[in-house]
Amino acid sequence: MKTALLSVLLASAVLAAPRPARDTADVGKQGDYSVGIFNPLRIAIVDGIELEANPLVFFVAPNVNARFRLLGGPLRLTAEAGLSVPTFGLRLMKGFFFPSWATTPNDIGWMVVPRVGVLLSGTVLEHSVWTARADAAFRVPLGPNSATPLNSFVAPLDLLLAAPLTGVCARVGGAYDHALGDTLRLRGEANLFVTGGQGNLTFSGANLGALAPLSQLIVTAHLGLDIAVFKQSRVTVGVLFANFDNGRTQVVAGADGFSDRVRVRSNNFLPTLDYIWAGF
Amino acid sequence: MRLLPLGLALATLTACEWVADPMTYTREDVPRFKSKAEHPAPAANPTALKVMAWNVKYGACRVDFWFDFWGDRTQLTTTEVTDCLTKIAALVRKYDPDVLITEEIEVGSKRSAYVDMPRFLLENTNLSYAMYAATWDSSYVPSDGVGRVNLGNAIHSRYPIVKAERIRQADRTDQDPLTATFYLKRGIARAELDLGGGRTVAIYGVHTEAYDQDGTKQKQIKQLYDLAKAESLPWMMGGDFNELPPVCDERADAGTPEGCEGKLRLKGFLDERASASGTQFEQPPYTPSVMKPFYDDFSPSITLARYGIGEAAQQRYFTHSVLGPDGKNDEGVPGNWNRTLDYLFIRQSDAWRDTDVVQGPGVFGITQDAIRLSDHAPVVGTWELR
Repeated sequence: MKTALLSVLLASAVLAAPRPARDTADVGKQGDYSVGIFNPLRIAIVDGIELEANPLVFFVAPNVNARFRLLGGPLRLTAEAGLSVPTFGLRLMKGFFFPSWATTPNDIGWMVVPRVGVLLSGTVLEHSVWTARADAAFRVPLGPNSATPLNSFVAPLDLLLAAPLTGVCARVGGAYDHALGDTLRLRGEANLFVTGGQGNLTFSGANLGALAPLSQLIVTAHLGLDIAVFKQSRVTVGVLFANFDNGRTQVVAGADGFSDRVRVRSNNFLPTLDYIWAGF
Repeated sequence: MRLLPLGLALATLTACEWVADPMTYTREDVPRFKSKAEHPAPAANPTALKVMAWNVKYGACRVDFWFDFWGDRTQLTTTEVTDCLTKIAALVRKYDPDVLITEEIEVGSKRSAYVDMPRFLLENTNLSYAMYAATWDSSYVPSDGVGRVNLGNAIHSRYPIVKAERIRQADRTDQDPLTATFYLKRGIARAELDLGGGRTVAIYGVHTEAYDQDGTKQKQIKQLYDLAKAESLPWMMGGDFNELPPVCDERADAGTPEGCEGKLRLKGFLDERASASGTQFEQPPYTPSVMKPFYDDFSPSITLARYGIGEAAQQRYFTHSVLGPDGKNDEGVPGNWNRTLDYLFIRQSDAWRDTDVVQGPGVFGITQDAIRLSDHAPVVGTWELR
């Protein structure tokens, strides 16, 4: 059954050319669009300018990002600028990821998070693309805020909330997207993120002092396979690796039979899966 | 059962670290730790050991946390924790026990600034050896931003710990599977101390359930009794039993000789807040009768005769108050010690002397004010080995 379904999907793919590489400096022609369940909705409003937003969280954390083609040709350079307002979404997580603050007026503060970035891509072989990128997002507070960094057990969640909760999230990274025939693309990506520090604990208007520091560096790597389905869509599968500090410790035994507890970084291996629907 | 695959998947995703350690052991050895600082050598071939048991409230001193219902905090700063632990260590140094049992002590918890508290006490008291038995180890607890937690019982000693282990206690059965997954898993710390001259003693550090409505605490206390009864070494058991002394039988009718009316307060303590009613942190009914076998068959540091009848006599030995002295309850009464939950027991063939509850400054020359250092008072005594 699974084989038959896969055959139908692949057979319906247009085999004339592979799907374009994803997350590159390439900006579509007017009317091009794509949207995934987790990948953002991206629409080219005119040639060389795209708007993107993540529909999954849009109604609780309004967000928009604009992409502007600065250079075309063999080397493509694109600038990005965006804005999000995550407060309402964060407040929905009170009682779980954040305190309820049931007896005091403490809360997650209103804020906007602007973001800027730049991508540089080049083509190798006929359909394979390398990309280098740098971007950063910052928190601009609009009122008092008692929320502190998440320090969760999954790095992507911490990265998603790093700018609102630590004040900044900057990234440098690179990717290579290789066409394997007309239906498959193999994609590898590595990123180094630097977040803000843990900051101070603010409670009922008072600054209570510094929270315990954790490493601000997060390293991620992703290996994925895009499988062309239907006319212009694709299924993406992959594995995300992340190395980060969330306060984990390990007991190390000494030669004398006594042990010591040392801080170690955590590793995640997370499956990734999405369906991206595209049109031209 | 349906959560099992989810739990396994989450464990894999985090690369060999449990999101919430299910603690499937029954009884297992745990690591021993040694101070890096040089401490004065203990007395050789001791005939008595000074002991202390103290629930140290994860180094929060009197910061009110959300589940106390007197505050909203979920996290402490590094300075708050180290300041509190410095005061706790100062009190311990002043009493200078040979053995220290601590409960609600943490290593690498987000709420307590990731401080390694057993190590802190090793380096800041005269106690050279330690063991730590985790009873709650989750890389993330998704409840009120609690985050990473590693909490447990510890035993510190001036004498070498030659064996350290933890013994699993029964889990609650009155929680939904998701809550139970992330809830603490009670266990007992047990250490064997080498006193020299071929003498070894066993120390038990205990902390039984506080909020169950299904008889879990009673099962756990019965297990403690059975363990003590079966212990072949001279032993001492101390900690937070979360139970009142068996001054009376709560099952007896009012007005009968065994009844508790006028003898022991069972409910309506000054630190209980009405808003806790109906929540998972509501105080369940106390069952002091479950402690009776300990008083019948073992030797308590504070006997029932000394404890007395009625609050006026008993308050000198109260060990617990959720509400601190700087807070007032809904009736405007300031917080103060209002019930006894912490104990020290030894076998009947050994003896106690100089036992007390360190409720505040003045006891044994101690100058620190214990009511400002935790929601429990240290219980202390000298255990005469026979």
